[in-house]
Amino acid sequence: MSVRYIPVQWNRFKWGYDAALLASVGVFLWAFLRVTPEDLGHERDVSGAIRNARAFGACAFVMLTGILCIGPLARLDTRFLPLLYNRRHFGVVTAAVALTHFSFVLDWYFAFSPAGKYEALLFANTSFTNGVAGFPFEAFGIFALLSLLILAATSHDFWMKFLTPPVWKGLHYLIYPAYAAVVAHVAWGALLDQENTTFAWVVHVGALLVVGLHLGAALSGRDAAKPRTAGWVDAGDPATIPEGRARIVTLASGDRVAVFRHEGALSAISNACAHQNGPLGEGRIIDCLVTCPWHGFQYDVRTGRSPAPFTEKVPTYALRLEGGRLLVSPDADPPGTPQRPVPVHRGRTT
Amino acid sequence: MSTAAAILDLARAWLWIGAAVAALFLSIGIGRIDPDARGAFVFRVLLVPGLLLIWPLVLWRWWRLEKGDRWLPRYRPPSAHASAAAAMSALIMAALVLSYGARQDWPDNIAPRRITEAGS
Amino acid sequence: MSERPFFVGYLGLPRGLRFMTLALAVSLLIGGGLLATVIARAKDDPGPGTFRFDYGRQTVTGIVALTPTPILHVTKGSEHIEAGRTLMLSGQGKNGALLRARALEGRLANASGILLTRGDLDMMQLVCGEAGLGPADGDAPMAPEPEDLGRWELAGEICDGKCAAGAMRPGTGIAHKACASLCILNGLPPVFISTRPIEGETFLLIAGTPEDPMPPELYDWVAEYVALKGQIVRHGDLLVLDIDTATLERTP
Repeated sequence: MSVRYIPVQWNRFKWGYDAALLASVGVFLWAFLRVTPEDLGHERDVSGAIRNARAFGACAFVMLTGILCIGPLARLDTRFLPLLYNRRHFGVVTAAVALTHFSFVLDWYFAFSPAGKYEALLFANTSFTNGVAGFPFEAFGIFALLSLLILAATSHDFWMKFLTPPVWKGLHYLIYPAYAAVVAHVAWGALLDQENTTFAWVVHVGALLVVGLHLGAALSGRDAAKPRTAGWVDAGDPATIPEGRARIVTLASGDRVAVFRHEGALSAISNACAHQNGPLGEGRIIDCLVTCPWHGFQYDVRTGRSPAPFTEKVPTYALRLEGGRLLVSPDADPPGTPQRPVPVHRGRTT
Repeated sequence: MSTAAAILDLARAWLWIGAAVAALFLSIGIGRIDPDARGAFVFRVLLVPGLLLIWPLVLWRWWRLEKGDRWLPRYRPPSAHASAAAAMSALIMAALVLSYGARQDWPDNIAPRRITEAGS
Repeated sequence: MSERPFFVGYLGLPRGLRFMTLALAVSLLIGGGLLATVIARAKDDPGPGTFRFDYGRQTVTGIVALTPTPILHVTKGSEHIEAGRTLMLSGQGKNGALLRARALEGRLANASGILLTRGDLDMMQLVCGEAGLGPADGDAPMAPEPEDLGRWELAGEICDGKCAAGAMRPGTGIAHKACASLCILNGLPPVFISTRPIEGETFLLIAGTPEDPMPPELYDWVAEYVALKGQIVRHGDLLVLDIDTATLERTP
């Protein structure tokens, strides 16, 4: 939550997260680079730059595979939400590792030539129409790297607020074609190059894990049916909403509303958090404030406003009771509009 | 001019325009459209790479915010995850299958064979 | 509604999630190291080719010939290069030696540089300028007469001779294709690696024309395993392959 922007927001958990992440990257690279030709019975070692490019490339693939697993894992099991909380730092470190891989490749395979290395990267292999083997798989890598750089460069909270969370998330959908491009980059490059199939197994298992988790999460997270009419929407028996929790209601427009019960009264706010459009209705009320399950942004359930000095706001919705049923207004009121809470007990008596 | 050189010139032009947009936006624009940025300067350095890369999007959003942005779209999260996941899965499977089909073994079984003698 | 502990980042980990999160961090650390070891241990042997820096700079005299890639029939050897051998010549980095060699075609020249060897492939990376390749005093003896070995059917890989000789390890294969093409475009010797030796030679220099050191049709086939037909001519102890590009086909 922000009052005034600072370069990087850290807290104790994030320090731990980043430390574990960087330590794992360090251990991966160290373990990769410590294997000697003597260990393998080879007469000579792989060139240093190629060895480094492989180490950073493999590391970036494994990291990206891990990142792609976090979203669906957290969707399928909320115990993985701590991994989601600081995923942007994970992404930035991955982009840095991928960029290092690119630098080693560029300064080795495309350097030492009369042409500039960036130009050489683009013209050295132009066998675009001669089948998969020999295809310039570097092109997939360039696309993926550019995508990762865009995602890393727009990871600051400012971008989310400036672009709006839907546009920001739309831009960050780039991760999906980027990961597919990374798989193609590896499968049409390194995997066709190596006789040993161990890395091919690693890539296949990683990529299929990502595919399986995403398809699983997509199937489990299908939207609830929208009401057909555009009037007030039936949100069910209000007494069945537990204290401190919410029921998520889908409107005819497709917008989702989180109806919270707090101190025996019901209030409705947008289900989309102002920060990253996280699902507020899956959050809880802590210290009288609705708390987003993704990054802990908080709102007063009666006004949709973050507590001072924070300035975030979400739209609110009017509620009414009719025949023991709770009804939600189909129209959002502007962010931060106070609503009168509806006491639950009235629902039982009318 | 070769295609490669033309692509690089385009990339350079893109980044130079991005630099101009970054200079303008970080000095004038950002404080006008985001109160949280007023008085905060160090973090602006972190925005430079993003401005260089996606400056057309920045100009579009800046213009929209100056005009007065509509508030409701901000709370409508994109719902295309299932389609994006399906497209990504299809592309991954295609990449892996095509790679498998293109894999070659060193043709050790083909020995050199003289077809015709010298001079013939 | 689930009764699972609710995580809020800035409040720290709730008790119920501590063990799982710690276990995840530890498995990431150990798993990352193990995975990296498994991947690194699976690398293929990059072959024995290498720069012979251990020999030091070698200076030899010989007759320059062009295929049009420059080669040198050594007439006066050095400590590690005996007379009678035929060397492929390259410049520094990804630079060929064609410009320097053209003026010396058929003449006696001094060549000086570092030797690269891989099996029967011998190449000299010349030092810069005339110190690397310059005219030698004396009349050139007769260069070995090219010997036509007939038309052959072969299988193997097209690559650049310098990387394949050990300037890069590995210096062949699909991942190296762009680099190989770049090297050949810049005038480094295009080489065909045969599955088995032909008249004792596994590495054959690919013939081109004065305009194109390698036939342009071949670039699409670099680094793939191919079968082809072509004419082989012996130049000293080096075989030169003139590929019939219409016969190229991918092997399974």
